[in-house]
Amino acid sequence: MPRFDDSRPEMTVEEFRLLRDHVYSHCGILVHEDMKFVMERRLWPRLEALGLPDFGAYHRYLRYDAQRHAELEAAVESLTTHETYFFREPSQLKAFCDELLPLLEKRNARTRRLRLWSAGCSSGEEAYTLAMLLKDSRRFDDWDVEVYGTDISRRVLALARRAEYGPSALRATSADLLERFFVPAGNNRVRVRDEVRAWVSFGHHNLLDETGSQLVPRMDVVFCRNVMIYFDQAARRRVLRIVRDRLVPGGYLLLGHSENLLNLGADFELVHLRGDLVYRRPELPGLLGGEGR
Amino acid sequence: MNPLPEFPEEEARYRALQELDPRTAGALEVLVAGLHDESWRVRHVAAEALKRLPSSGSVAERLIRVLDERGQTGARNAAAEALAGLGGAALGPLVRLLAHPDPDQRKFAADILGQLGLRAAEQPLVEALGDPDLNVRVAVSEALGRVGGDGAALALQGLLADPEPLLRLSALEGLTLLRRPPPLPVVLALLEDARLQRSAFRVLGLVPQVVATERICQGLASPLRSVREAALGALGTQTSVAETVRRGEIEAVVRAALRRLPDAAARLAQALEADDVTVRAGALVAVAALGEASLAVPVAEAAREDRLLREVLHTLGRLGPEGGRALLAHMADLSLPARAAAVESLVDLVDASSVTALCALLEWAEEDLRALVVRALGRTGSPEAVRPLVDLLVDRTLAGAATRALGVLAGSCRTAVLDVLEDAVMRRATPAAVAALARVGGAPALPVLRLLARDVEPPWRAAAVAAAGEVDGLAGRELSRAALADEAAPVRVAGVRAMGRMGGAEAGALLRPALHDEDPSVRLAAVEAVGECGAVERAADLEALVRHPDGALAVAAVRALARLGLAGPRVLREAAGHPDAEVVKAALSAGAMSARGVELALSLLGHARWDVRAAAARVLGDSGGPECLDAARRALEAESDALARQTLSDAVERLSRR
Repeated sequence: MPRFDDSRPEMTVEEFRLLRDHVYSHCGILVHEDMKFVMERRLWPRLEALGLPDFGAYHRYLRYDAQRHAELEAAVESLTTHETYFFREPSQLKAFCDELLPLLEKRNARTRRLRLWSAGCSSGEEAYTLAMLLKDSRRFDDWDVEVYGTDISRRVLALARRAEYGPSALRATSADLLERFFVPAGNNRVRVRDEVRAWVSFGHHNLLDETGSQLVPRMDVVFCRNVMIYFDQAARRRVLRIVRDRLVPGGYLLLGHSENLLNLGADFELVHLRGDLVYRRPELPGLLGGEGR
Repeated sequence: MNPLPEFPEEEARYRALQELDPRTAGALEVLVAGLHDESWRVRHVAAEALKRLPSSGSVAERLIRVLDERGQTGARNAAAEALAGLGGAALGPLVRLLAHPDPDQRKFAADILGQLGLRAAEQPLVEALGDPDLNVRVAVSEALGRVGGDGAALALQGLLADPEPLLRLSALEGLTLLRRPPPLPVVLALLEDARLQRSAFRVLGLVPQVVATERICQGLASPLRSVREAALGALGTQTSVAETVRRGEIEAVVRAALRRLPDAAARLAQALEADDVTVRAGALVAVAALGEASLAVPVAEAAREDRLLREVLHTLGRLGPEGGRALLAHMADLSLPARAAAVESLVDLVDASSVTALCALLEWAEEDLRALVVRALGRTGSPEAVRPLVDLLVDRTLAGAATRALGVLAGSCRTAVLDVLEDAVMRRATPAAVAALARVGGAPALPVLRLLARDVEPPWRAAAVAAAGEVDGLAGRELSRAALADEAAPVRVAGVRAMGRMGGAEAGALLRPALHDEDPSVRLAAVEAVGECGAVERAADLEALVRHPDGALAVAAVRALARLGLAGPRVLREAAGHPDAEVVKAALSAGAMSARGVELALSLLGHARWDVRAAAARVLGDSGGPECLDAARRALEAESDALARQTLSDAVERLSRR
């Protein structure tokens, strides 16, 4: 009887570079030099699924196969981690609730319309968190509210729409919030309540796709947290241009706590809140002075 | 100095500088005025624009003058930012600035030279260590850590004996950046100074010797958390720089030390939550040494930091079946990266008791992880894993993994695997079961395969043809020959591949129609099959495909010709001129052992693509003679890509020895 080998191929440095460049040219996501091992581990299941012997063959598959476009998306999905959870970075969320929401309520009082964008929303935790915070504030109860979540991964969007989560996603959610905004879904999992889901919608979007971004409505606030880490400087600049374009003048951009716009020549102004630093698309010159400057 | 145009609004000033054409007369002074703006955004955009101005030498001189403007802190910092972005053009003016009478200026010069990171600054900086001002000397010492070089390392090592602790500290940090630890006795002495202890531990981690590990372990026993964490950081570094064979020795020392600590597990659990990633890395090494299965979950959670994945997997692998059970019990509670690491490690931790939990995991685990769960099921060695694996053969994305897992499982329970596979085939569950049945069952499966090769549905015919060749050459040849005339392309592909594997006198003739098949997948398979079975009579068909605009076909043709030993000069020349770089690399690979290949490699050292240049360098290193050395050296000097440079450097070294 033959012996069966279930060992795995190693990725050479050259294969790593070729695959890395391929992914970068597709979506601007930069896999750093020291991430070869991680890339190897994340892409191996793709080789397994396609029955390919090594990463060189996988590169050729991505170059030539009729299914290459779908496979490239699958590769990107495997490479981008989707680790997130509800109520992440609470100090920033508190500043958002205590300081920005009152400003937005005042500013949009005439239209009674509010638009938030969770850019790179992964499996939806951030988008639902924002909707929960809006509900919790009671400021926008009868407003036209929409939290828009987008991601490049279709797989995580499917999870976001399902709105069911396990303990890991809830590790920063208090018992009180759990009670108010979730219902049990069995198997130690919970589902986001329908009244929250009603304020949240999802869509597929590559943050570097300027054409596709036209489908995103003008936003009052964009949350783009822990997304820029995947891009290099050039791609970050492109993303920021798109985000700025999708913000209303005076609209706010919130980044992750370890991210900033230094060295990006950003078209944003820094706003010092009491509890956080956020960025704002400048008002049109000669028009509104803007608060919080 | 030209004033910045009068724009009352910050946004307007920002836009004006952003849109300024760098070729405009007076652009330099407008931008210098921008460096003095009250808004940081405007200063920043001015600094960015200055980096793009032509004649960067005069820009550097002008910026040096801005550095001299006392009281203009914002402008000076922005000028420093711009200078750091000018590259080599700023080197001369900054080196001259090291001799400025004002120590603030000299410090600025040292800081910016450090940011430039140019090796050419090494000697001037070493000389500047004699500066009378302490702050300047500290800045110079930090800069030396960034520019690198033997001279820098030697100078920094000399500073370790300086009476001034700040200098000793910056020298230690610099040596750590350079990854150039001083002699061990020097480091051990510095560890005794509480002010230097953290930095001394960091540099100690760069010494891959057991005696260093022993000193690190003393730090692990410290009552002070800061010392323990510094020691763990050192341990993480030491493990990453030590050769694999040394790892066992390091772990043995750590194990002995930790066993003497009654609260070691609790301390390590705390360290796994540390903010500093090097501390977490060291904690992982320590948990692996201790084999502490109760920490399996926090260890898996350390995989939330991508850079720790390798260490997490190593550590989980050391926690044994007990660790595996702990992971399986908490799988739903883990974050996604932790779950991915846990599932991967389970492949080595499972036993027969794991089947139920693994099957439960298959019900809900993420798609990518399911392939790993399938692999783990194959490693359980349990007959109970057979049925779930066979059921997975209907899942297109998991069928391959399940087939391989069944193959592995057959090593411990072959009869059970065979029974279930035969049943699956009889029930026509999935064509994937045919391949698994053939692999596990061997020749006795042939009658079933013959029957299936006449099936109504193409996937079953294709599966039978592909499998038959693996169990019986004669029958395989017969079935694949018939398959070559099948009306369904997937069956023809299966026939072509089987024919390629089995070969035979008629293979070349039989494969000819497939080389001209209407379906591109059949043509591609046929090209590969010709190479595999050695059908030299089909060489002319392959040569015609070398110029094919479809890169996949052209690559396959070049490779096949190489396998046939027929990749002659004309083939190599045509392939090297193909617009697709993959075809060019295939040509280099095909000619690697020949004089013509060496000639080709020499001509491709200046190719636009880094991967082609690297492939050419590899050919020279493998097959070139001493006459190639000069060309390789010239290419090395001109090479800007790090990987191609490394390959060229290897080639030069090998050629120098010939």
